[in-house]
Amino acid sequence: MEKTESEIAASCGRFGGNMRKTASIAFSIVGFLIAAYCFDSLRAQQASPQQDAASLAPPPSYTPPAKGAPPIEDTPAQRDAIARWKAKAELATNAARKQYNAEVAPAYNFHYGPKNPFTPGNIEVQGEGFLQPGAYPSAEYCGTCHQEAYSQWRQALHSNAFRTPFYRTSVNILIRDKTRGISFARHCDSCHNPIGVLGAALTEDSKVDRAKFDSDGLTCTTCHSVVGLDSTNGNSSVKMGVPAVIVDEKGERIPGEVPFDMILRHPERHSQAVMHDFLHKPEFCAACHKANLPATLNDYKFIRAFTAYDEWQQSKFSQRNPLTFYTADFTTCQGCHMKRNPISLPDYGAKDGTLVSHRWLAGNTAVPFYYGFDEQLKKTIDFLRAGNYLNVDIFALKKAGSDKLIAPLGRVAYDLAPSDTVDAYVVIQNKNIGHSLIPEVRDLYEAWVEVTVKDSAGAEIYHSGFLKPDGMIDPRAHSFTNRPVTDEGEFVDNHKVWTIHSVAYDNSVQAGRSVLVRYQFRIPANVAGAVTVTAKVNYRHLRQSYLNNIFGKDHPAYPVVEIASRSRVLKIGDNEPEAADPADNPDWMRWNNLGIALLDQFQYAESVAAFTEVVKLRYDYADAYTNVGLTEIVWEKYDSARTAIRKALTLSPDNARALYYDGLLERRAGNTEQEIADFRKVVENFPQSRDARRELGITYYQQNMVAEATEQFEALQGIDPDDLTAHYNLSILYRRQHRPKEAAEQQAMFVDKKVDPGAPTYGLNYLREHPEISTESIPWHIHSDLTAQGGTANGK
Amino acid sequence: MASNAARCGRVLRSVAPSLLGVSLLGLPMTMHAANNCAWLNEATASGLLGGSAVGEVTEAAGQPTVCEFTQMDASAKRTLRISVEVVTDPHERVGVLEKGCGGNPTPLKAIGNEAASCALSDRKIAVGKQVIGRVRDQVFIITIASTLKNDPVLQGDALDSKIYTAAEQVAGNLF
Repeated sequence: MEKTESEIAASCGRFGGNMRKTASIAFSIVGFLIAAYCFDSLRAQQASPQQDAASLAPPPSYTPPAKGAPPIEDTPAQRDAIARWKAKAELATNAARKQYNAEVAPAYNFHYGPKNPFTPGNIEVQGEGFLQPGAYPSAEYCGTCHQEAYSQWRQALHSNAFRTPFYRTSVNILIRDKTRGISFARHCDSCHNPIGVLGAALTEDSKVDRAKFDSDGLTCTTCHSVVGLDSTNGNSSVKMGVPAVIVDEKGERIPGEVPFDMILRHPERHSQAVMHDFLHKPEFCAACHKANLPATLNDYKFIRAFTAYDEWQQSKFSQRNPLTFYTADFTTCQGCHMKRNPISLPDYGAKDGTLVSHRWLAGNTAVPFYYGFDEQLKKTIDFLRAGNYLNVDIFALKKAGSDKLIAPLGRVAYDLAPSDTVDAYVVIQNKNIGHSLIPEVRDLYEAWVEVTVKDSAGAEIYHSGFLKPDGMIDPRAHSFTNRPVTDEGEFVDNHKVWTIHSVAYDNSVQAGRSVLVRYQFRIPANVAGAVTVTAKVNYRHLRQSYLNNIFGKDHPAYPVVEIASRSRVLKIGDNEPEAADPADNPDWMRWNNLGIALLDQFQYAESVAAFTEVVKLRYDYADAYTNVGLTEIVWEKYDSARTAIRKALTLSPDNARALYYDGLLERRAGNTEQEIADFRKVVENFPQSRDARRELGITYYQQNMVAEATEQFEALQGIDPDDLTAHYNLSILYRRQHRPKEAAEQQAMFVDKKVDPGAPTYGLNYLREHPEISTESIPWHIHSDLTAQGGTANGK
Repeated sequence: MASNAARCGRVLRSVAPSLLGVSLLGLPMTMHAANNCAWLNEATASGLLGGSAVGEVTEAAGQPTVCEFTQMDASAKRTLRISVEVVTDPHERVGVLEKGCGGNPTPLKAIGNEAASCALSDRKIAVGKQVIGRVRDQVFIITIASTLKNDPVLQGDALDSKIYTAAEQVAGNLF
């Protein structure tokens, strides 16, 4: 009878265990060949998406050492045995690698030259040449002792990063592109299928057996084999080590799979091999959750595609940015997406019965929906709904013919009459997401506002953001998306990222900020009873038109998840103040969010007025004055800004946020000494504040303090390698310091990264062709069905 | 793999007039060069068939395009055959093909738009399995078979797993 995978895995483990006991056999090359055969047989069978932990071998018995117990001391004989195993493993791995390279390298397309085999991706690999896919211990091998992690990973997006139709459709277009081809797909696969990229699979006439890794995407030993982060540039900016699951007593890596008892005897050495400290840090996630479109891909210029990492860095959760509107406890990417949960399957990596999640719950509903991973889908939806990530606030009403804002709604009295035309102010706060709403490939993901107004019988008075029968969203809905366009002004509907030259608009909401969406409707003349206004933020993992690109139009409806909502009942006649809903923000925060939204929509007077309401409610809250001041700075009302910032500093003398804005005002007033003092103090308290570093660098530059300015701009580049101010100023500063090579590099990066001045016209071409959504590109707009004649666009 | 699809497409476009002429003569055109199957490369086929396999692609106007990989050893001839056609009524076509498939087709999750597998009942072979499915309007049939009864390479769960892997590769490249 054919062995199951688990049996094979177990026999591999047992085989290895026995080998240790019989040295002459255990460390023979033959042993390695058999182990490799076991490994290959096992890998070839891991295709079914239904595969779960039940298919794994039972874990070997293991009693964890007592807390604080020192590592087990090996006898000299045991040390010798490990040394011999290591030597043989290195010999076998190196020989296999050499032979593999001899087979695959001659046919490989070195499109970017022999020194850049993985370009346009940024990935690198330890050692010489390509790394054979067989060098990676399989997920089933890891899963034997880490069954909980394995079962979660199998359903998560990381394990399905390559094989899903949602990815394959996009990358196949690039592969089939006449002027590009599979070499260019290394840009995408460096993150989606790094084993394939590093294994020379991405070439015409590939000699590589794809069945060994395609279905595992990012397997355990891709993330856990990374030995270094190259930069925070993204596009897989990591250095992959030769995979190893254990180190010897000197800390040197032993490549490939080893018998389980070797690991169980020295779990601390296993940790040393696979648990680098950077795995806990956002910079590790940045390697792939930050992407750019380089000129090597698009034959155009550098375009920053997305960067969840920088968005996090600028959010309150990083505690690196003093300029956020709110504060929070330090939380990493892992803190939200890899929360520690109780285990239900054996896992020797668990601590106190809990394990960090290897589901990476986020917004990926399409993948578990397609594969039938019901548990992952349910947990993903629960995650989206449970996090208090967004706050929806039907904040105010404004009746036609009146300038009075009825706000905050629910807290003030007002009256409403039949035939009243009403503007509803809906404020949506990105409250607790550590990145933008929506992050990353926001041309594919879809979050939008659905607003309904219904009478007491449930009859619809107004509806925005509905789904049409064909699954497409109401084109006039307010959506948190962007519209990437080609140089012909055509919407890039199918994620052909190499054709993107500009975005017609980007309505994503950055972390901690708010957006005001205004809706206009008329109360029917014959209305009976109250009307109910409901505002929701809905989310669908992939746009309907993109799903249609993948499957054609005959696919099932993909999940739409309501992330947050709020309803309010508006009585006809008098409305009295009512008790706040427990989920509502406090009144001062409601005003504050309105102020933030108005600031971002360039409504400065109204923004100052909103922040002033915060002052009235919290007169001792320094940030309220700072908010007034910063808005007035943007509005160029420097005198009143100074008054507000001074007040903030009186209340909170060391407030870095107020000091930053004070620095800007001191510069304006010519008080350079104080300007420098302010910015220095901010940098001392927030050394990773890119804004403070930039402004302090500019100040030093203006004072011709070359060394000091250089230090700040270099530090800024360490935080954000794309900062244009840093590139520009460093190119000049290096030249002044007689460092022409570095100056030229900075100048080249500045030229490559600065926005093409012609790019906005591509967006305008698109908007001209699409009047139905062009309003969305204007920050201050209103959604209305009412026509100039008084009726509604839909004839109601 | 998919790059081969692009390459094959380019080749086909460049030779389209000749291809038309050949098809008018009613003769299939066979490309014998290794590794030119658009949906599965020879190395992957070799892994699935348990040894070095040789591939062959057959294209003829009005006929499904076929890739056939053959692996032979002393005891058995193992084949992996992929047939792809573009049709106007793909869902119906899949249904018709499934009716002609031996045994009760078992629906396969997450292969293309839809897919099902079934055992082969061809007398010429000793063991075999088939997957019928589609990606958009591209209908595919994948067959793995061996002439050896109780072939240790293609048995039970291993055969199920291998044909699933082949189907995932083919569908992935058809997307």
